Amino acid sequence: MKRYFAVLLGVLTAIGGFVDIGDLVTNAQVGARFGWSLVWIVVLGVVGICVFAEMSGRIAAVSHRATFDLVRERLGPRMGLLNLVGSMLVTLLTFIAEIGGVALALQLVSSVHHVLLVPFVAVAVWIVLWRAKFSSIENVLGLLGLTLIGFAVALWQLGPDWSEMVATLSPAEKPAGESWATYAFFGVALFGAAMTPYEVFFFSSGGVEERWTSKDIGVMRANVFIGFPLGGVLSVAIAGCAAVVFLPQGIVVESLGQVGLPVAVALGKIGLAVVVLGFFAATFGAACETGLSVGYSLAQYVGFQWGKFVRPTEAAGFHVVLLVVTVLAAGVLLTGVDPIMVTEVSVVFSAIALPLTYFPILVVANDPDYLGEHSNGWFANALGIFYLVVITVVSLAAIPLMVVTSMGQG
Amino acid sequence: MTAARGSRPSYDAALHLLDRQVVDSDGRLVAKVDDVELVRADDGRLLVTGILSGLPALLPRFGPRAGSLAARVHREIRWAAADQEQPLVIGFDLVDEVTSEVRLSCSAEGLLERAQGGRWRLGTLLGTPVHGPGVHRSARVLDARVRGRLGGPGDHVVEALVVGPGRPGALLGYDRRSEPGPWLVGSFVRWLHRHAVVVDLGAGVELDLEAGEVRITGDASVRPLLG
Repeated sequence: MKRYFAVLLGVLTAIGGFVDIGDLVTNAQVGARFGWSLVWIVVLGVVGICVFAEMSGRIAAVSHRATFDLVRERLGPRMGLLNLVGSMLVTLLTFIAEIGGVALALQLVSSVHHVLLVPFVAVAVWIVLWRAKFSSIENVLGLLGLTLIGFAVALWQLGPDWSEMVATLSPAEKPAGESWATYAFFGVALFGAAMTPYEVFFFSSGGVEERWTSKDIGVMRANVFIGFPLGGVLSVAIAGCAAVVFLPQGIVVESLGQVGLPVAVALGKIGLAVVVLGFFAATFGAACETGLSVGYSLAQYVGFQWGKFVRPTEAAGFHVVLLVVTVLAAGVLLTGVDPIMVTEVSVVFSAIALPLTYFPILVVANDPDYLGEHSNGWFANALGIFYLVVITVVSLAAIPLMVVTSMGQG
Repeated sequence: MTAARGSRPSYDAALHLLDRQVVDSDGRLVAKVDDVELVRADDGRLLVTGILSGLPALLPRFGPRAGSLAARVHREIRWAAADQEQPLVIGFDLVDEVTSEVRLSCSAEGLLERAQGGRWRLGTLLGTPVHGPGVHRSARVLDARVRGRLGGPGDHVVEALVVGPGRPGALLGYDRRSEPGPWLVGSFVRWLHRHAVVVDLGAGVELDLEAGEVRITGDASVRPLLG
């Protein structure tokens, strides 16, 4: 019974923890501009993150090595350092966007300008990273994040014509006013948001934090294969709500308030309150995850003690890194930069950094020295190779598309 | 899961040791294997004597140009320290087990000491050009094959060098197993390293690290890595 409860809790927190500020903003923007025609990218991205999260979780369970340990072991100190710098910058950018997202969610409730809220949010995030238990962070915020199911309920209440919706799923249904370049740019952004590298840093390091062993592979797989796709359903629901409410009016989504507006239309104030709580939980949870991920990747490259499974005094270097990045993120947001803009940039740079993270995972997942009997089967390898090709194409296309479409404006 | 447990008599130092996490007997994370210390014994054998850690060990491994520049800058920052060029060392006799981590047989508290000067490093040996019959003309040292039982008594002796064109580490471990996957990556890496050979240390092999090259004569035992 306890085991079933553990599986259920894991799946629920995986659903609630799947969506972050990048998913919220990008899905709503894409829904408002492209309707349902880019949903297939979300499906592609969710399957991709499942494939690689499962591999990295399996490696963490069997060998107790998290992703950045592997990056350095397989790519060596030089390529590993380039990888570290790239991944840390992208994760830091995502961390800034998440803290900004928390401030924006609180702005919706308090009407206080988000810049004024940033210092308080940063302090709160740091206190949680310093004091809270790893499992409490994951469980409390993951479960609260489930309130984003409000989007699925709202979509059902909005009652789109489902048969018409199915007919507009194909890429050929791109709205005529949008060019193929912007379509591709938002495809890349959506893919980057779904496959953000920090998710595997956090997932694999979390496996080490929670002391998974090869016995936990089943539970881990349930989390990934049930939790992530259901989290993906929430992403699609966010895009769907925007498609129903904004697309016919030609409204462009530029704020977090607009992301929640379709829920207010469908379910009224209570519904809006519920999803705003979801915004808060999802962004706060992701802020903790990305902040930890920056510390994890640096510590795993250099080799010093990391993790919340030891007392903060035993992992002093790790906690200093967490403090420094939190101060840095707050400093960037205090310049008054628009967190939505930071989010848009962070998902595109995530897309660029994808091969750095996923290639070493695929190589080590095949290594019997690490995994013994648990190394990849042909199916995981076929998917892994397929995604390696997709990821490389997406990564190479990201910057040219960003330039050609001026970040999706054109 | 075992990379080089006591049961296995030999291991490849770059593949199985370098850049792995060092963990002490209490399970605390200590450092990375930033480099491996080698000592030339009086009888000519090359022995593995310690694990090196810290920036003075790591920085030179960033390549001939970037690495020496980074090491020089680091030296100049700590110009007043007598031991500024020396990394920290963990004696190899304290290594209990090497799996996906390097496990020590004792607590690491206060364990790391400054390394002595004048010893060789695996990082210097790797990438050294190799000249002579039987090897590719742009061959370099890719790895060092070590005979020795981890956690057991006895010396760890470098008995052979893996030599071939390319960069150390670029084999990604695809040369050491019969059934590596995914085949696309595996066969590409193996194709890249089709000229790689194993050269036994001994007669006909001269390690001249001062001149920065390894010279081979016709007497040396050279066999293909991928058979």
